Amino acid sequence: MRFKPGDRVRVHAEAKPGHVRTPGYVRGKEGRVEAVLGEFRNPESLAYGDPGLPERPLYKVSFRQEDLWEGYPGPPDDTLSVDIYEHWLEPAREETP
Amino acid sequence: MTGVHDLGGSPGGPIDKSQHEVEDWERLADAVTIVLDKKGLKTTDEHRRAQESLPPEVYRELSYYERWVAATELLLVEKGVLTREEIDAKAEELEESWGER
Amino acid sequence: MSDNDHDNGHGHAHEEHEAGYYARRIRAMEELLIEKGVLTEEEVRRQIEYMEARSRANGARLVARAWVDPEFKARLLSDTKAAAMVLGIDASGPVEFVVVENTPQAHNLIVCTLCSCYPRAILGRPPDWYKSLNYRSRAVREPRAVMREFGFEPPDGVEIMVHDSTADVRYMVLPMRPPGTEDMGEEELAELVTRDSLIGVSPPREPARVG
Repeated sequence: MRFKPGDRVRVHAEAKPGHVRTPGYVRGKEGRVEAVLGEFRNPESLAYGDPGLPERPLYKVSFRQEDLWEGYPGPPDDTLSVDIYEHWLEPAREETP
Repeated sequence: MTGVHDLGGSPGGPIDKSQHEVEDWERLADAVTIVLDKKGLKTTDEHRRAQESLPPEVYRELSYYERWVAATELLLVEKGVLTREEIDAKAEELEESWGER
Repeated sequence: MSDNDHDNGHGHAHEEHEAGYYARRIRAMEELLIEKGVLTEEEVRRQIEYMEARSRANGARLVARAWVDPEFKARLLSDTKAAAMVLGIDASGPVEFVVVENTPQAHNLIVCTLCSCYPRAILGRPPDWYKSLNYRSRAVREPRAVMREFGFEPPDGVEIMVHDSTADVRYMVLPMRPPGTEDMGEEELAELVTRDSLIGVSPPREPARVG
């Protein structure tokens, strides 16, 4: 399990061909791991009749709405969370000083 | 892959709050899809992928359960459980014997 | 019935838009699957009954119990399937459930942008609007505008948290108990819990004023 609640993560930016469950609107965005939801088989290969193994961690990742949408019509505290499989996530880049 | 189904953040109009009466064929579509799932003949993931493979204009035009029926047919044919010809023939047979349009 | 000819060069396309085309297809498939022994009429019937037995009422009972019983509430939030079983609601199956709690600081909204996932094993079928392309498109980007269309404006200072059910978890909202309900029993409380409040587009009903 690569990540734990509180970790800042970045969603891979590149689109992949085929069936994916990571919505386009979070690709390349940075968020925070809220929870580890468990380990599950990979929908991307299950979708084509493959067993989808090995199971991999699924994380609940929250994002500030302001970071997702240009001109978001709401207060800065509003958030959106998405359930994302581990292979779509990498540690967020360190802030450059 | 981003497709027409990947709707989050797309522009959209007012939410239509009307509710249609669920029809018997829709209950049937729901049930047959789930029973096939429970029997391990298809997965939820294949079912979603099949829907996503519909041409974008078809995806947008079909109702929820029409998409389910299209996806279930696609998967049953893909997996060699049924052929399109036998479904065509059976649909015609049912139409004739029940006078359905 | 539209006069619009959807024929894009395939004769089939026109037929598909006739009323009843998909109804005929699924009936044909069901008959063939039964003939070939892939499934039985009984199995289909039982699955239809399973879905018909599920509705808002299940969610309302879970919420009402959580409002009156703090231990049950804790269980509902930490192990939803087990909590449902306590009330005789069988939500077993491969999907997981997470109940998200509304507080004075945070209000939750549920959507599935990619397809319309919903806690069906507890609540049954989702409403048409939840499955609509417009809801799937806008709930993540402008949740407050969507809630406004349902007549709900969150008070100042309340954070909106949207949950996009993209994977193996289905979400349900635990709304806040309305004020003025201290003397109400569980059954009465359950009547206040609307299906829409379990999705998060609007709050539960308030008790009717007496006198």
